[in-house]
Amino acid sequence: MKTTIKISVITISLVLMLLADIPFLTNQLVPDAEAILGVRRRAWRRGVIVGSTMGAATEAAAMSHQQAAPQQPAPTQQQVAPAAPAAPPPAATGQPLPLGTVVSALPAGCTSTPVGGVEYYYCGGNFYRAVFQGNKLVYVTAKPE
Amino acid sequence: MRILIFRMSAACFALGVLILSVTVCTEVRAQTPAVDPAATQILQKMTDYLGSIKQFSVHTQNTLEDVLDSGHRVDFDISASVIVSRPNRLLAERRGDLIDQDFYYDGESLTLYNPADKVYATEPAPDTIEGVLDFARESLGIVVPAADLIYRNAFSLLMQDVIFAAVVGKAVIEGVKCDHLLFSRPGVDFQIWVAEAGQPLPFKYVVTDTTTPKLISITTVMSDWNIAPSADDARFSFEPPLGVKQINFMPLETSSGSNP
Repeated sequence: MKTTIKISVITISLVLMLLADIPFLTNQLVPDAEAILGVRRRAWRRGVIVGSTMGAATEAAAMSHQQAAPQQPAPTQQQVAPAAPAAPPPAATGQPLPLGTVVSALPAGCTSTPVGGVEYYYCGGNFYRAVFQGNKLVYVTAKPE
Repeated sequence: MRILIFRMSAACFALGVLILSVTVCTEVRAQTPAVDPAATQILQKMTDYLGSIKQFSVHTQNTLEDVLDSGHRVDFDISASVIVSRPNRLLAERRGDLIDQDFYYDGESLTLYNPADKVYATEPAPDTIEGVLDFARESLGIVVPAADLIYRNAFSLLMQDVIFAAVVGKAVIEGVKCDHLLFSRPGVDFQIWVAEAGQPLPFKYVVTDTTTPKLISITTVMSDWNIAPSADDARFSFEPPLGVKQINFMPLETSSGSNP
């Protein structure tokens, strides 16, 4: 009796794995199969066929890939950033940000003050300094000295 | 018992089919990589030629593709002029909404200057163009337009890890008849269009990120090639105009960035 159960479990799982190979079923099966049966590697090999359906599954992985992406695509990510609205720092609250916080644009209403030959921008209880982060001009919270 | 044996053999058969399909898949994959020597020869002719000329200037039109969070496809355009004077001078001026910046290298230091923001930053630099391109990318995270093609050893850098190379055909770019080449390496596909006759100069360069299904590309179209530009050494040194303030570079964190 025990062996019968074992064998039927094996058979069913094998049939499931086989089903995952049928292209038109990949839509429903691959994401689940990936999690349950660990067929991710096989799915990768068939990347060309299931490329589109793998999209969702590999999105997260792709994002992390992009961080360490080859040099060429990097600028796309980097330079496009300012086009999207950057998270505004909580300037209005007057809450000081930790030193070294990077923002892509100064909050509204900053006043500039030169301190020791360096231009500082003061607003919302924070001093900012302009720096180049790669090709991009950003502002970093700093302590004037 | 008979059913049991039948089930067992069915399972074994299924397993066999599975293994076979995986093996066939990997073998087909292993056989397809093909590097056509005709394509690599044209590429080498181009890189050798570009590496051999002492001075050149070129205008580039760069298009960066992107997909917005909303899912819409947009292009960002940057127009750039590059002057190279080997072994140790480089000037790149980029104009566009996304980036409006000049890159100066005079053999001693490199400078990044944003005319609109009226700020610049300077850093001591290595003594060759190749050294400064590496230094800018690895230590400061700065990308110079068409840098891949400026390297004197561009051929070996471009061919690194290439698993596929082909001559796609012919195309006319900027009025010049070119050979269209396609290369692939893990994560990146790139295409180069090289003038078929006369000086083997590149006229178009497309790099595609194949790590995501979006297949985002950066396209560079090159025009106005001049292999005898009138550029004296002073042109490559930055003199800050009045009212322009000096700022610093943010050092790259060692954990990120240094990836080539």
